[in-house]
Amino acid sequence: MTQSAAVIADKRRIAGTPRPRWDPWLLGCVAALVGLGLVMVYSASVSSAERTFDNGFYYFARQLGSVVVGSILMYLVMHTPLRLWERTGPYLLLLGLMLLVLVLVPGIGVNVNGSSRWIRLGIVNLQPSELIKLFLVVYVAGYFVRKQEELQNFTHGIAIIGLVLMAAGILLLQEPDLGAVVVITTTVLGMLFLAGVRLWHFGVMTLTGAGVVALLTVLAPYRLQRVVAFLDPWADPFNTGFQLVQALIAFGRGEWVGVGLGASVQKLYYLPAAHTDFLFAVTAEELGLLGVLSVMMLFAVLVARGFTISRRAQDAGLLYAARLAQGIALLLGVQAAISMGVNMGVLPTKGLTLPFMSYGGSSMLVNLMSMGLLLLIERETRKDAWGVH
Amino acid sequence: MTRNARRNRGILRYWMVLGVLMTAFASLAMRAVYLQTLSSNYLQRQGDARYLRTVTDNAHRGMILDRNGEPFAVSTPVESVWAHPATFAEVRREWRPLLTLLGLNATEVARQLRKHTGREFMYLKRHIPPDIAERVTALNIPGVYLQREYRRYYPTGAVSGHVIGFTDIDDQGQEGLELTYNDRLRATQGTRRVLKDLHGNIVETVEIVSLPVPGRDLVISIDKRIQYLTYRELKSAMQRYGAHAATAVVLDAQSGEVLALVNQPAFNPNNRTNLRSTLFRNRAVTDVFEPGSTMKPFTIAVALESGLFGYDSKIDTTPGRFQVGSKIIHDARNYGLLSLGQVIEKSSNVGAARIAMALDKERMWSMFRNVGFGETTGSQLPAESAGLLNLPSRWVPMDQAHVAFGYGISVTALQLARAYTALANDGVVMPLTLLRRDHAVHGLRVMSAVTARHIRDMLELAVSEAGTGTEAQVQHYRVAGKTGTVHKLVAGDYAEDRYIASFAGMAPASRPRLVMVVTMDEPSEGAHFGGQVAAPVFSGVMSGALRLLNVPPDTPTERFQWAAPADGRSPT
Repeated sequence: MTQSAAVIADKRRIAGTPRPRWDPWLLGCVAALVGLGLVMVYSASVSSAERTFDNGFYYFARQLGSVVVGSILMYLVMHTPLRLWERTGPYLLLLGLMLLVLVLVPGIGVNVNGSSRWIRLGIVNLQPSELIKLFLVVYVAGYFVRKQEELQNFTHGIAIIGLVLMAAGILLLQEPDLGAVVVITTTVLGMLFLAGVRLWHFGVMTLTGAGVVALLTVLAPYRLQRVVAFLDPWADPFNTGFQLVQALIAFGRGEWVGVGLGASVQKLYYLPAAHTDFLFAVTAEELGLLGVLSVMMLFAVLVARGFTISRRAQDAGLLYAARLAQGIALLLGVQAAISMGVNMGVLPTKGLTLPFMSYGGSSMLVNLMSMGLLLLIERETRKDAWGVH
Repeated sequence: MTRNARRNRGILRYWMVLGVLMTAFASLAMRAVYLQTLSSNYLQRQGDARYLRTVTDNAHRGMILDRNGEPFAVSTPVESVWAHPATFAEVRREWRPLLTLLGLNATEVARQLRKHTGREFMYLKRHIPPDIAERVTALNIPGVYLQREYRRYYPTGAVSGHVIGFTDIDDQGQEGLELTYNDRLRATQGTRRVLKDLHGNIVETVEIVSLPVPGRDLVISIDKRIQYLTYRELKSAMQRYGAHAATAVVLDAQSGEVLALVNQPAFNPNNRTNLRSTLFRNRAVTDVFEPGSTMKPFTIAVALESGLFGYDSKIDTTPGRFQVGSKIIHDARNYGLLSLGQVIEKSSNVGAARIAMALDKERMWSMFRNVGFGETTGSQLPAESAGLLNLPSRWVPMDQAHVAFGYGISVTALQLARAYTALANDGVVMPLTLLRRDHAVHGLRVMSAVTARHIRDMLELAVSEAGTGTEAQVQHYRVAGKTGTVHKLVAGDYAEDRYIASFAGMAPASRPRLVMVVTMDEPSEGAHFGGQVAAPVFSGVMSGALRLLNVPPDTPTERFQWAAPADGRSPT
């Protein structure tokens, strides 16, 4: 009985009956991460929001708004033709770079704790460094398709990418936002590698990127301090190592199943940025290893799914779709891995959010739009393969 | 390069990149396992060190009650305002109403805050009344908290200031019985282990280590009514005679309990601001003086006990002077031939000295020692002096003669009162106590009952119309007692015009119930003799106290006036 039903289902599929309209893996994972993220943002911020705004729901409500707006954007993206993105890639890059310049203009950029990362737009703030991540990936994917043959040539193919990356990087460092620089550099390097550039070209780019980041670290005392603190946070646990030590304590307190939702102590002002960069630590404390591994699993599935989609697109001959899917999967995977690594003390502290979970409007919008693109690619790839419109 | 080869290379790179990403996730997962299982104990200890704190809960101190259960010292709950320095410093803009409410100065608070940087606790104001505490809570300022504490109140105020003493702001005894019995009275703080957030708020109680235990009540021997009476009489007498200071002690002759202990000038323990700490001195036990003539009964006791003298023995005091060594001892006038009783009655120094010179100095010393001179009384009061009684081996004849009428020996008022219990109690000196005695205790017999009674008879003569202590008489009761007036020792020499006047006595004389000692330091207005300034206080207190205690009168009312002793012996 079961067997026959499966056969019928299979037959129907062959016959051209539409499958579920959108990829359930992507939608499921994103929904789970966003849902868990909302719960954790509320839990992590309720005390400080009550203290600062007399309203424990302050951060939660804003994050919920971001999720709603982000979902609408995702829906809109899912209903655009992919060709539109391929064509507008260069303009989106220009827009992203312009915003990065704007944020540096005093009066337009909002300066918080010594870094200007936000452009104030009424009640919400726009974070251009989040936008540039997606726009750069959209642009680079299109560039690879247009200059397919020239990629084998260093001066013509790769140097251009290098210049674009450098421009974005220099602007980001003015904010400064080294975390974003590391994420986009790693992502673009991965895309180059996947696009099939010569190994020694890739090697030169990688070494240059690593060298620049190392140089920037050594040159800026506060970055060097963070690296030293990262290497041995317990050496100065009340000062430079404070944040990391508090995050590690949160992990230790979580044990297997956590102290329970809402029961985190570290979020009671001990752990700075509990609802943003260190939300993962609060999750670890309240939901334990179980929660941590679940989140990791969700991200791993998302990334793997992105790669699968890219391979299908490549098989279907949709080169742009394949490159874009790889870029988005890389962007998501790199950012998630670095963010979690920072939380667990395996990477030096940087201001990086955990995609879909951490508090932050721009990050949420951009990540949901990325997912919209990925869903769009999956759909277009499938349409081609199965001939379903 | 063929298209197929490039395609294969593309697939290889695809799996490599995906592999790197998945390896990264796997490493992170292993790191999470390490942090959350293997090193979780270490990390939790680090966490506990940061937010597990021990807080204390206060309980009330035990009450001090008089022998009839009347309160002398009680504790009432009050609130103390404290701040978590770091949090409080952040909200400087919200300070104003709080500082106004507590009457604090912003500059001073800021200075205190700097001093407490990095700490987690700082008192803002201690012991505020409940209504103010309520308004502090209503202000709801971050980092400001209340702590329940207890404040000590002394309903009897100055009346019992010296004997009860007082506590400091931390509820610990500082003076008097509050200090002596601090261990019994004080409360034991309870402790709780709590989770605190970074601003000092208690998030939850993790463990109750111990519950707070209130202190135990202390029932003391003082009788509030007699204490009050003594305070009133002493104060008015001191003012009337312009004395520098005064002390009065009332003992229960049979049990050794202290029923009243008053010093003047007194202080109010409820409000000690701007008081000099010298005012807190409990003169009755800390200050020594030369007892003078009040010492003579003990010299006579040695004489009677020695067998060398009988009740009727006569001493020739002619010509009212007596040279011992280089010093000449004087009487007020030439009394001629005196019996032992008349030596007391007339308070003849020459008589006492002549008797002493006939006695064994070792026996004199052991009598004085046995009645308690030269050692503390056992009252347990803080800073009690043992007085001074030199060893007989160091006495030269002049010392032996002088000590017979109370010079060259230093005693406290309480010591003198205790010594008189030997006379009141038919020869048994009682151990003193400031706690109520519910069981009889054994005293020390220092002389025969016969000797003690003889001396009481002589002391009755001393307050007779013919004696020096006439003003000590009490209506309806027979009184026995002795006056003393000594020149004050100033810088090692006797001052010509500065005196310490004293009276030591007991009533009713037939079967003494109360012993009382009164001393006046430097009376300056009109009179300075013990019989004039100290004896009236004795009379005033005794007439009230004996009635309060329902002591039956021992003088038939119709015969109230001086009469011969009931046993028919007549003084000669």
